[in-house]
Amino acid sequence: MSSNPDSKIALVGSPNSGKSLLFNRLTGLNQKVANFPGITVDIASGQSVDASADSSSVQYLDFPGVYSLQAISGEEKIAIQGFINALEENLLDAVVCVVDSTRLEKGLIFALQVLETCHKYNVPVLIAANMIDVLDQHSMQFKDQGLSEALSVKVLPISAKTGTGLNELRNALADASVPPAKFQTDIIASDESINHLHAQQLAQKYGPKGELLINTQTRLDSFFLHSWLGGLSFFIIMYLLFQSIFTWAAPVMDAVEAMIQWLASVVVPVIPAGVASDFTSDALFGGIGAFLVFVPQIFVLTLVIGILEDSGYLARAAVICHKPLRFFGLTGKSFIPMLSGVACAIPGIYAARTVDSTRKRWLTYLAIPLMPCSARLPVYSLIISAFIPAQKAMGGLLGWQGLAMFAIYLFGILCALLVTALVSRSSEELRTDLPFVLEMPPYRLPSWRPLITHGLHRSQQFVTKAGKVIFAVTVIIWILGYFPNYGASLGDSWLGTMGQWIEPVFAPFGLDWRYGVAILSSFLAREVFVGTLGTMFGIDGAGENFTSLAQQIQESGLPLGAGAALLVFFAIALQCVSTLAVLQRETGSWRLPAQLFISYSIFAYAAALGMFHLVEFLV
Amino acid sequence: MTLWDLTQGTSAKVSRFKSSIESGYRTRLSELGFHPGEQIACVMSPGMGAPKLYRVNNTVYSLDDSIASLIEVA
Ligand SMILES: Nc1nc2c(ncn2[C@@H]2O[C@H](COP(=O)(O)OP(=O)(O)O)[C@@H](O)[C@H]2O)c(=O)[nH]1
Repeated sequence: MSSNPDSKIALVGSPNSGKSLLFNRLTGLNQKVANFPGITVDIASGQSVDASADSSSVQYLDFPGVYSLQAISGEEKIAIQGFINALEENLLDAVVCVVDSTRLEKGLIFALQVLETCHKYNVPVLIAANMIDVLDQHSMQFKDQGLSEALSVKVLPISAKTGTGLNELRNALADASVPPAKFQTDIIASDESINHLHAQQLAQKYGPKGELLINTQTRLDSFFLHSWLGGLSFFIIMYLLFQSIFTWAAPVMDAVEAMIQWLASVVVPVIPAGVASDFTSDALFGGIGAFLVFVPQIFVLTLVIGILEDSGYLARAAVICHKPLRFFGLTGKSFIPMLSGVACAIPGIYAARTVDSTRKRWLTYLAIPLMPCSARLPVYSLIISAFIPAQKAMGGLLGWQGLAMFAIYLFGILCALLVTALVSRSSEELRTDLPFVLEMPPYRLPSWRPLITHGLHRSQQFVTKAGKVIFAVTVIIWILGYFPNYGASLGDSWLGTMGQWIEPVFAPFGLDWRYGVAILSSFLAREVFVGTLGTMFGIDGAGENFTSLAQQIQESGLPLGAGAALLVFFAIALQCVSTLAVLQRETGSWRLPAQLFISYSIFAYAAALGMFHLVEFLV
Repeated sequence: MTLWDLTQGTSAKVSRFKSSIESGYRTRLSELGFHPGEQIACVMSPGMGAPKLYRVNNTVYSLDDSIASLIEVA
């Protein structure tokens, strides 16, 4: 096989067998590693990073983790079909079946299915018995030789964490050429349980004996799942998550802002006064700069959610939320997609494949776009800092801005639950429940490197992907706002004229035409709002010192009610082209995205109007 | 008695699945280790209707009442 110029090797295994970590080890590509069963839903691929000469041509494919090759959920069907197709089309040169050697019986049930399938398609298989470091720690034995002989395939003890056995694995893969023989046995049993009996027998004969780690896990569970301490800690953890977005990110955001201002003060004077200089200061520093300030928040949010995932807490949160979510027509399994939706709706929609019931998955889709995603964060952040003082209460532990952020996040979540509760009650079919079965991964200390890399990756994606749109929109807005009178008056520009047409739409909740233009542009992607507004204020305030956009909003005399209405509008409206596209891809039609877009726009408008009048009435 | 009736800290052997269980779920539960003859321990019962945690071999799963009450234990 080593003669084959680009051999493809598939990694398969049950959720939590450590497959993703092994994949990262083998490829050096830091794909996300998550300590939640079944979080990988797309097939990732990566080139080998082996030091030895010609192995750079080995390509590893990481198939989503499944418990069995017999699917019971939509997500599994997709994953299994992907694997079978790859085998059928003869794309794979070898398959590595990753099993957790600390839970050999479970791993072997799956491995036996894989062996059988690979036998059918004539593809070589290796079994990688992972987590061998855990067995070593407990001085437990695992008879890999015996198992290997019994199954007549290579069984390699490895640790994806410490790197033990990885070279042996690579070498074995380079030699792998013999497809597995049919597994011979003398057990006679009914079809359904035959694999299971084999696995049990093999695990008893060759597997480690004894209990592992369960005691610490039980102690932690008796705290995190305690009838009221568990609920309390859940709220504290969620609250800290939102506070961290503000308090941890704030110094970095200030630094980024200071840097942009400093850069502007150096660069702008060098450019001769005129169109070019105005463009640099309004569109580049005003528009793009206003949005770059929020990148640290995206990073912190991704990092914190990653820590929760990797530590094993998210699975417990799903248990805690199951009963309450059931009331709202969802299931505990909806919690992960919804929380992922707090980072971004798109991974949330993908993660919803883990919801095994079609109807509950559909309801989860309704909820995800209402979850306060990180693209809303810049808008929330801007408006909150324009209206709410940065003072801290209780010795800095509690920030008013963080509290306001918590409130608007809570509002989004409540809207999501309200929608699913109402919709699920609208039909008998949507109300029925499916059983909840979820593996509880052991609690683990998060592995920092992949988490930080993932956070940086997400931030970079945010900058490059959203950045392109924002740059394009910013330039267009700037041109429309600057001409024909060279920035003398924004109100008389082309943009101003167009703005006058839209003004009546948003005037009912106290927003002038500039906000109207910014809202319209934000239907491409929410964060465009900040860039657009930054550009317009930049043109308007030409010649003045650079002040933060929040301060400019404050000075523009926007009424409090209008600010609140803006928050509510952004919390509900589905202003994200990518979300609509992904929903279309996942559901196979434009029906759901179109329905959601229209109904959430109407809902957003009505709620914003209500909010404006409520605040005006109260203040 | 069903699996759902196990209280925290106790364990029992699976005797059979109730006939109302969907076959896909029965197969999956068997694959996860819940099959007749296996000793299952209830390690955590959070109360208030939340799913309970059960240990099979070295793995812990959480099951809610709708499925745990279809597994009979003795
Ligand atoms: N101790 C130890 N932990 C591991 C090993 N391999 C993976 N893990 C951890 O097991 C958890 C699940 O791993 P992951 O790669 O996400 O599993 P997947 O669901 O199969 O992709 C993560 O927290 C990993 O850090 C290993 O060899 N030893």
